[in-house]
Amino acid sequence: MSPAVSATLRSGRVVIGLGLVLFLGMCALLAPLIAPHDPAEQNLLSILLPPAWSPDGNQEFPFGTDSLGRCILSRLIYGARTAMVVAIVASLGAMLLGSILGHVCGYFGGIVDWVVGRAVDVWMSFPPVILSLVLMVGLGTGLDKVIMAIILVDWTRFCRVLRSEVLVVTQRDYVTAARLLGFTHWQTITREILPATLPLLITLLSLEMAVAVVVEAILSFVGLGVRADEAAWGQMIADARQYIYQSPWNLLFPMFAIIIAVSAFNLLGDGLRRAFDVRLAQLAR
Amino acid sequence: MSVLEARDLTVTARMSGIAVPVLREVSFRLGPGRILGVVGESGAGKSMIGRAIAHLLPSGFAITGGSLQFEGRNLTELRHRQRRELLGRAISFIPQGPLSALNPVRTIGRQFDEHLAHLGIRRREERRERALAMLSAARLSDPWRLLERYPHQLSGGMCQRVLIAMAFASNPRLVVADEPTTALDLTIQAHIVELIAQMQQQHATALVFITHDLRLAAHLCDEIMVMYAGRAVEYGPTRAVLSAPAHPYTRCLQLANPAMCPQGRALYLLPEQMPSLRELARMSGCRFAPRCPVATQECLQSEPPIISHAANHWAACIRPQVTLQIVAQPALPGAIPGAIPARSLLQVENLHKRYITARHMLRSATEISAVRNAEFGIAANEFVGLVGESGSGKSTLAKLLLGLEPPSAGRIVLDGEDVTDCSAHARQVRIATVQMVFQDPQSALNPRRRVASIVTQAMEAGRQPAARDERIKRAKALLSDMGLSAELAMRYPAQLSGGQRQRINVARALCKVPKILVADEVVSGLDVSIQAQLLQLLLRLRDEFQFAMLFISHDLSVVRHLCSRVLVMYRGEIVEQGPTEAIFAQPQHAHTRALLSAVPAEY
Repeated sequence: MSPAVSATLRSGRVVIGLGLVLFLGMCALLAPLIAPHDPAEQNLLSILLPPAWSPDGNQEFPFGTDSLGRCILSRLIYGARTAMVVAIVASLGAMLLGSILGHVCGYFGGIVDWVVGRAVDVWMSFPPVILSLVLMVGLGTGLDKVIMAIILVDWTRFCRVLRSEVLVVTQRDYVTAARLLGFTHWQTITREILPATLPLLITLLSLEMAVAVVVEAILSFVGLGVRADEAAWGQMIADARQYIYQSPWNLLFPMFAIIIAVSAFNLLGDGLRRAFDVRLAQLAR
Repeated sequence: MSVLEARDLTVTARMSGIAVPVLREVSFRLGPGRILGVVGESGAGKSMIGRAIAHLLPSGFAITGGSLQFEGRNLTELRHRQRRELLGRAISFIPQGPLSALNPVRTIGRQFDEHLAHLGIRRREERRERALAMLSAARLSDPWRLLERYPHQLSGGMCQRVLIAMAFASNPRLVVADEPTTALDLTIQAHIVELIAQMQQQHATALVFITHDLRLAAHLCDEIMVMYAGRAVEYGPTRAVLSAPAHPYTRCLQLANPAMCPQGRALYLLPEQMPSLRELARMSGCRFAPRCPVATQECLQSEPPIISHAANHWAACIRPQVTLQIVAQPALPGAIPGAIPARSLLQVENLHKRYITARHMLRSATEISAVRNAEFGIAANEFVGLVGESGSGKSTLAKLLLGLEPPSAGRIVLDGEDVTDCSAHARQVRIATVQMVFQDPQSALNPRRRVASIVTQAMEAGRQPAARDERIKRAKALLSDMGLSAELAMRYPAQLSGGQRQRINVARALCKVPKILVADEVVSGLDVSIQAQLLQLLLRLRDEFQFAMLFISHDLSVVRHLCSRVLVMYRGEIVEQGPTEAIFAQPQHAHTRALLSAVPAEY
């Protein structure tokens, strides 16, 4: 392992962030094994149960049940599945689309850069939440549609940030040298420029995952996200809203889950940024 | 009474727990109105003197011994407030990078005004008058208009003049100038040095002039202190130090500078480079002994004491009598004025490059001619110098030759093929025949590739990249050609010294043995001893690889040493070309004469 990688892994933010992300990822992967109940299973005899540690709690439902008697813990675990799938697939998709366009624009410049640049300007002038809601109305509900909406809204972020980074790297003499030595444009971009922009790309990706979790929660909350039979944290909050005074736990658990997921990705992203950012590294020394 | 006096000044750096002396027992005296030149290559510790005066040592560095007295007050023991009262008033500074020393978002007038307000001038009109007076004293025309300008609207030379005006505005008793001309053009350099000397005389200021350029120091200074590895190795009146150097390092520095005299002479090659701080911690005996041509066993035993030779002239060498015996070895001949070969490798005819500036709402597009009517040829195996100030179109011409930009008109014939258009065929011809060595090795080497991968990068291009073993073999061969150890092959550029990086830069261009090298200011950022090594290396490599070179430089003495023919560029035009000796002996164009007169005279 190169010293840069091991130094990155030693930073506190990265360790905590990565640990939490891995924990959520394990929950998502092993959901059928670790969840005590089927997330859709209703127990109408035991609705709105408090968590197991309160006096009226039931050991069978560690975090209690919701208004239909579904196990909250199981729904949280299955909700992690939805959240992680959206976070990973949607942000990878947005990254691919945005960074390819960003590299092409920054490297070649000219008319392509102008056209894509203006498209990004127009795109970013819509408020992102409104844009994704409009898209969801058009696309319909479902996990794949949520992912599609996030990709279509957030590619601009990658495109704009990476374009400016590529512009800077392209100015370096070693990029000119590579061209003079006979590298094709493709070789120059993949072997000389991409390695330099990769740290930024990774950092943006982990921050984008946090955004994706929030957007998915918002869409599910307003009922435009995943289908009603799939468990999602946003949906759980929406359901619990009506019983906020009888059983606040119902509302708090999914909120904590979202907070943990978002801060995990943010910590990871921030840690990676600090580890990769040369300017900050020099200050610390 | 002396203005500045250092007694056994010692600065120590803490590096991973070990204390390393950066300055060791430096002593000197500077009288009022005198100029002290502090000379040495990078890593000699010369800037530390300026920083110690300004109390701006890098973190981890501290003054651990001796004293630094300004007019009898010990600067190291001053309180914060007392120091603030001295700095910027009684002691002022001229920085190295004029552009970064000025605030880019404030006008010159506002910055000057603030500076004068700090000095305690209450009335606004008075401040304005003083600023105008100082700016005209710095020979800046139209000072009224200048006050409303922003730093980016001025050239580097003008910014430096503004800073000089500000430095002298407080009638200081001491000015510290740290490499004030390094970032500037050669022609401007001479004017700036002249201006500093003139202001220094007018204000009767004592001046500490820190530079790596022995010739420049000789030109300006009353006394010279030569630094090596944190120690002052020789000190004395300029004339005495340069006519009879007592320390071998001074002598070697003198001989490593290419001469401007017509017959020329071989460069003295000082082996290796100044030891790094880490290496210093482990050394014993004379720090210069490993590189010294006249060192004996005795030199390695203990650090040589300071020995006085004449009044006020001393050196830290135990055998000063042999110093003058050092002469440059008869090295490879530099410029060979060979016969003009029949077929030229590169032929440029009637070449033009025009840029169109962007159209604004009210302004129509204007045309700028970067290169006009360039016409020249380069023969096989010939080194041709291209000289001119910055902005004269040298780099644009190089870009046209390399096909990085298409010319607006004219013809470029490379190795018998027309490569004027930047077509795919022209590109293939270029890849095989012409390569470039870049100015700044920091930016020219991909920091994420290892040395072996960088030097053999040419073998990675194309449809059939070479196998790893083959590349490593070639890399080792190239490294040994460059006089570098094969151990470097697996290092990253950040782990190399400046001189090593520049060699790697050359090695990469030579990987597939091109017929022409275009070298853009390749020695300008290097220390003289490293520069001499690289120049010698280029001449040796020419014998081995048989390539021609277009050597772009603003340093005429280097061009004279290396090239048999010179092109002089001025405002986009080649105003003069011909054999080096003829042009340097009898310059025809006024600009060539101006360039030649800007070179500091030989001592």
